Amino acid sequence: MKPIELANKSLTDAATLLGVDSTSPALERLLAIGLPSKKSEEYRYFQVEKLLEETYNTLEYVPHSIEEGEKIVIVDGIVTHAPKNMRVYYDQCQAMDMTHFDPMYYLGHLLSPHVIKIDLDGDTDVEVEHHYTKSNALINYRIVLSNQANRHATLFESFHADNIRDTLVLYGYDVFVSPDSTLRMLKNQKMDENGYAMIASHRLKLNQHANAVLKSFDVGSGMGLQLFKAELDTYAYIDAGHLLYLNKEAQRGTVSKIIHRGEHSTSQQEAKNILDGHTRGIFDALIKVEHSAKYTKAHQNSKAILLNEEAYMASKPQLEIYIDELEASHGSTTGQLDPKQLFYLRSRGIRETEARKMLVIAFANTLIEQVKDHRQQEVIKALFDEAYYGNEQ
Amino acid sequence: MKTLEIENVHANIGEKEILRGLNLALEPGKVHAIMGPNGAGKSTLSKTIVGHYDVEVTEGDIRYKGKSILDMEPEERALEGIFLSFQHPVEIPGVNNAYFLRMAVNAKRKHEGKEELNAAEFLREMKKYLEMLGMKADMISRSLNEGFSGGEKKRNEILQMLMLQPDVIILDEIDSGLDIDALRAVSEGINMMKDGKRSFLVITHYSRILDYIKPDYIHVLKEGRIIKTAGSELVAQLEEEGYESIEEEA
Ligand SMILES: Nc1ncnc2c1ncn2[C@@H]1O[C@H](COP(=O)(O)OP(=O)(O)OP(=O)(O)O)[C@@H](O)[C@H]1O
Ligand SMILES: [Mg+2]
Repeated sequence: MKPIELANKSLTDAATLLGVDSTSPALERLLAIGLPSKKSEEYRYFQVEKLLEETYNTLEYVPHSIEEGEKIVIVDGIVTHAPKNMRVYYDQCQAMDMTHFDPMYYLGHLLSPHVIKIDLDGDTDVEVEHHYTKSNALINYRIVLSNQANRHATLFESFHADNIRDTLVLYGYDVFVSPDSTLRMLKNQKMDENGYAMIASHRLKLNQHANAVLKSFDVGSGMGLQLFKAELDTYAYIDAGHLLYLNKEAQRGTVSKIIHRGEHSTSQQEAKNILDGHTRGIFDALIKVEHSAKYTKAHQNSKAILLNEEAYMASKPQLEIYIDELEASHGSTTGQLDPKQLFYLRSRGIRETEARKMLVIAFANTLIEQVKDHRQQEVIKALFDEAYYGNEQ
Repeated sequence: MKTLEIENVHANIGEKEILRGLNLALEPGKVHAIMGPNGAGKSTLSKTIVGHYDVEVTEGDIRYKGKSILDMEPEERALEGIFLSFQHPVEIPGVNNAYFLRMAVNAKRKHEGKEELNAAEFLREMKKYLEMLGMKADMISRSLNEGFSGGEKKRNEILQMLMLQPDVIILDEIDSGLDIDALRAVSEGINMMKDGKRSFLVITHYSRILDYIKPDYIHVLKEGRIIKTAGSELVAQLEEEGYESIEEEA
């Protein structure tokens, strides 16, 4: 299939093309918003058309029985392994967000009538490994994730692909964070040029007194955009952090809308971006505080270091505020490595490549060190090294 | 053989010529003190020796152990044994002090074909000096120089010198901002490094440190040149009469 063919189609034609019912509300939404293009707000920095114009092989999704394993393993959109006693199953998505900003959220849902449901019971840590093995394929799947009230759960996500080319992955979460609970989602993703491109479209709903911690560590090259919408109920709290280390021709980043609906809700969002090569980093993030969200706190910040003259950071932190009773800040800076610091390290016998890496890591460390799980922290650092030194050759 | 020979060096910072035909030779095992008015070019000289990017050498040569170093990268000069204690050490938030120092020590060991030190060996080695320098243990676990007081930064420079064991040691105003105890500790560290082979270049405005580190030569640097070289008796004259009284030697 060629996703671009959905553009400007009538409801019935699009329904035929996708093999879905023409009365589907998701299809109506998709056509109302329209496929993403350079003209859409959310995709203005990301060359999405290039991806949608390709022809992809579509895959058959035949769920097979899930084997017992230490982690949740999803291969080309199909769950193959899950820990014993963990509820991982296929179901219809009953609670789609009908006001999401992202058309790809709806396309994803239309292409994946059955979603992977993960119910996190109790205090749990779980790893989710995504594997991609098919070239020229459109891999699409969606996950519905929920946790239990009063519980703390953590999800570590990683992505793996070997020797594939020109695949497009559409995936995303619908996340329901229960009252008085904490859900931490940590993602690390090293991508290569030409392997697979990704558009990940998420939706998070934070109930009263719910806490969500979202950390993404995106390194390497390739095309990847994560888009998320998060809604905060009374006393809900979200802490979002995004690290980008990009090289070669990468175009990657985050587009987000965090919406404060309930009083006393808190959001903080921090982006650290290190751009090498001919790359484009994206941090296009809106925090919206609605009338109903008095006594809100909202802080947002983006910092970028450009290691190459050809690199470009599209950094757009934005606050949209409809009330007076709140505490809010936002800021954005872009700069280079400090030559004085670099010289100091070199004057002690540390090679320039190494000295640069030390400074780059120092810049990234505030985010990396927030990962309290020591092993995961090591994984992130190793991935970073791989991307960093891979680029040196 | 001289350890370091600076021959007719002219050097610019930006458009401005700061060093104007400077000659100086450091002898093995000797302490050379450099004194001179503010803005004379003392720090520029030290930056020139270590290959700082601010400085452009337009004429002359610098030889270390007989070889010109002007084309060498700063890290190569360091690995070969040239060390500068900066007048204003830079703060580097996010780079752990101990980690940095171990990287530096191991880079040097590797360069010399020695085994690298593991974390435990490194700590053992470093502990010897921490106490001597009166450095609190937390200073080594903090970010490099971040939030260090002036005196703490200088002690940290001396710690690096002791760990790296360089052959040419340039100390740019190591004594400024030090209290009496710190001055004594730092001087003790420097004196420990004297082995009859290493050369020292001590840039200072005050005679006090020279009571601890006995200089063999005093050089007066003025307007980008060494205008006089004498024994330690010159210090008293300078203190008394200032730099105005010094005439350039023929
Ligand atoms: N980065 C720079 N840009 C412009 N001028 C500079 C720079 N660094 C030094 N200079 C100038 O070069 C001259 C020599 O400076 P230098 O720091 O070498 O003096 P100094 O002898 O070390 O003085 P002090 O005793 O005050 O430390 C001064 O006039 C100074 O203003
Ligand atoms: Mg100076």
